[in-house]
Amino acid sequence: MKVTVVTRSGRELVKGGLDLDDSATVADLQEAIHKRTKRYYPSRQRLTLPLPPGSKEKPTILHYKKSLKEYIGESTNELTVVFKDLGLQVAYSTLFFWEYLGPLILYPLFYFFNVYQFFGYKGKRVIHPVQTYALYYWCFHYFKRIMETFFVHRFSHATSPLSNVFRNCAYYWSFGSYIAYYVNHPLYTPVSDLQVKIGFGIGLACQLANFYCHILLRKLRPADGSGGYQIPRGFLFNIVTCANYTTEIYQWLGFNIAMQTVAGYVFMVVAAAIMTNWALAKHRRLRKLFDGKDGRPKYPRRWVILPPFL
Amino acid sequence: MAGVLSGLKRLYLTIYNWTVFVGWLQVFFLAVKTLKESGHQHVYDAVEKPLLLAQSAAILEIIHGLVGLVRSPVSATLPQIGSRLYVAWGILWSFPEVRTHVLVSSLVISWSITEIIRYSFFGTKEAFGSAPSWLLWLRYSTFLLLYPTGITSEVGLIYNALPFIKESAKYSVLMPNKWNFSFDYYYVAFVVLGVYVPGSPHMYTYMLGQRKKALSKSKKE
Repeated sequence: MKVTVVTRSGRELVKGGLDLDDSATVADLQEAIHKRTKRYYPSRQRLTLPLPPGSKEKPTILHYKKSLKEYIGESTNELTVVFKDLGLQVAYSTLFFWEYLGPLILYPLFYFFNVYQFFGYKGKRVIHPVQTYALYYWCFHYFKRIMETFFVHRFSHATSPLSNVFRNCAYYWSFGSYIAYYVNHPLYTPVSDLQVKIGFGIGLACQLANFYCHILLRKLRPADGSGGYQIPRGFLFNIVTCANYTTEIYQWLGFNIAMQTVAGYVFMVVAAAIMTNWALAKHRRLRKLFDGKDGRPKYPRRWVILPPFL
Repeated sequence: MAGVLSGLKRLYLTIYNWTVFVGWLQVFFLAVKTLKESGHQHVYDAVEKPLLLAQSAAILEIIHGLVGLVRSPVSATLPQIGSRLYVAWGILWSFPEVRTHVLVSSLVISWSITEIIRYSFFGTKEAFGSAPSWLLWLRYSTFLLLYPTGITSEVGLIYNALPFIKESAKYSVLMPNKWNFSFDYYYVAFVVLGVYVPGSPHMYTYMLGQRKKALSKSKKE
């Protein structure tokens, strides 16, 4: 079949088009485009079906596993696809690794080294036991995240734009330093022993629950990296769609109950807002995908992220 | 129904723009008068009331953008109004020691000329549907000089206020406290000065782009 590849402005990306087998898949098409254009490797390509000009609809994105025939039907042997360059891509695991490495390295700097002299604090610094527990808790949390990135998570997309590395690292590294500054401060005031125990108790329980949620999510996807979406089931997923985000937010709440810093609470609220955005999109997507028609299961009634509010 | 609403909107914006225009006109005349009669050290005291009133009214413009009453993007108006309010309230009103500086005169004159032109431009557009071409030209040309003079005055005054901010520890929260929180207004000033570094060229080039669009469109008509 003949495939014409155009950019969104209408210019032909591949002069003369491409000649592919009738049984070719989208992945084959991407390889062929990569061969002709050199710099646009497959994960940089976003291929969509053309829309009539002025149409307000969202374009259909070609899925790499599907065969091209599925997108054109039986009556024709020609296909036109619209190409968008997604920019330099990095593997999701790369992105996660660098954004989590910052907090893991920067926080201990505030604990172990006398950085506060540069903020004008003279004299000896006495480390309170709870600041040491916080160090263990914090480092365990980000170590867990890095391990999950390489051994547990199965991502829906293989890659993410390179610009996200800078944006996400700025977020994690800035907040990590901001919290570390206050928790390890020479003038840090601890709360009661009981409150510390309750806080870390909640935090650790939620981190365990969060880990189990990640295991359950992993089991929903095949190992070959083909991604896809299934209805999550079991444990907290029976009541809330994004139980993994729920447990993550409550885990930070535990840390903040124990350490009581405004910086920690601010971070938790911002993180919760970001995760709520994701959760709403995921919940919406699952309800749309699993609409109960054509033999598909119907997505059950569940909380989105934070019962009893949302 | 829609006609009544859009008529009300036009009436409100006309009144708003001309009212604030009068405020800035006062600022300009009082500033020049005081400069001539008493010297630059007294300019702030003479203009304080209309200045703070007219500048604070600009907060309404953020609301206008948010509710869609006007087309201006909030992303362009917020930094502009933010820096104005910071300098007017956060520096001049809060630290009397800098009020006698000569940069107050250049600041106040730069701001008031800009605003007199801007508010009369929008006031005329709302009231009559369009503005005369000479006013359009002024609105999109005077910034070429007044942005640099205004920004230099703002940065200069913030810089001059630094020792007084540090010494007074005003608006600052210090450790230790039970929420393990601190806020140092002195460092905020440094952050603001830092923002001026990319912020000023950004605003200037934005206005250059607006100028190109506005003046070429009027040539076509």
